[in-house]
Amino acid sequence: MTEFMSAAAEGTGDHGSEVLFTLFGLDVTPAITTMWAIMALIIIFSFIVTRTLERVPRTRLQAAVELIFESLEELFKGILGDRARGYLPLLISFFLFIVVSNYSGLIPGAGHFKGFLAPTSRWGVTAGLAVIVFFSQQYFGIKEKGLGYFKHFVDPPFLAPLMLPLGILEELVKPFSLSLRLFANIFGGETVLAALLLTLPVLVPISVLALEVIFGLVQAMIFTMLAAVYFANATAEEH
Amino acid sequence: MGEIGAIGLFASAAMISLAIAAFGAALAEGRTAEAAMNALWRQPEVAGRIFMFMILALAFMEALALFVFALVFVLVGRVA
Repeated sequence: MTEFMSAAAEGTGDHGSEVLFTLFGLDVTPAITTMWAIMALIIIFSFIVTRTLERVPRTRLQAAVELIFESLEELFKGILGDRARGYLPLLISFFLFIVVSNYSGLIPGAGHFKGFLAPTSRWGVTAGLAVIVFFSQQYFGIKEKGLGYFKHFVDPPFLAPLMLPLGILEELVKPFSLSLRLFANIFGGETVLAALLLTLPVLVPISVLALEVIFGLVQAMIFTMLAAVYFANATAEEH
Repeated sequence: MGEIGAIGLFASAAMISLAIAAFGAALAEGRTAEAAMNALWRQPEVAGRIFMFMILALAFMEALALFVFALVFVLVGRVA
């Protein structure tokens, strides 16, 4: 077991994070090249879908995409209410990117070919997404409520010195847990899969693969739903 | 077999801590799912909202087990 653990630790430590080349003095890792591919894929897909838009969908593609979009809109309306529209572009971009990233790890060869690795199985990628959520939450809060946004840091005013550090800590913990949850889920799934493939390579990994298909979607949903909840809390009117 | 050694002890500790974390998370998630099923049985018409809040609540519990997993992995990678 020790040998496996050290092998897994080394394998995942070196395997995915080796530097392919440097660009403008920045290291480019497999996660980044895969992210580029995913971004290109999403952009091309969006371009093809929106090129021939019609008021009443005539193509199957437009009908399918509208179905997905409307169910996501319904989901976010349950959290953000009628203000959901303004936040949809950001939230649905998160959802699309995370879903495609999670599923890219299930394509045979991910993690073995050079420059091909599920981006969300690296903490740096999910941390970047969480930092975007963090800053847009502050931005939306200040935009909606002005300086009144900062009132929630000192909620009962007579306890302000006690509540201020707690409030700041709470805000800083949010992106941490948001990113670690997504990263550990995808990375953990891949590790379990690797362990199973080493010990029982026939048929057994199928069950974990099926679970991974569900988790990939659920984790993307959880990330975007939590982001929506944070936005809703930051912009909620006080009563 | 013979002696276990420091690394063997460390691997056992990692596995035991993972097991404890998984046990706690499974217990909590089981209770959540039970409550959600009861709510679903009482009010099937709000199934969508129940499902949404259940998933949100499960995410927090699951995160605790995953924190342990990430921690264990970092520590094992450093020692082994």
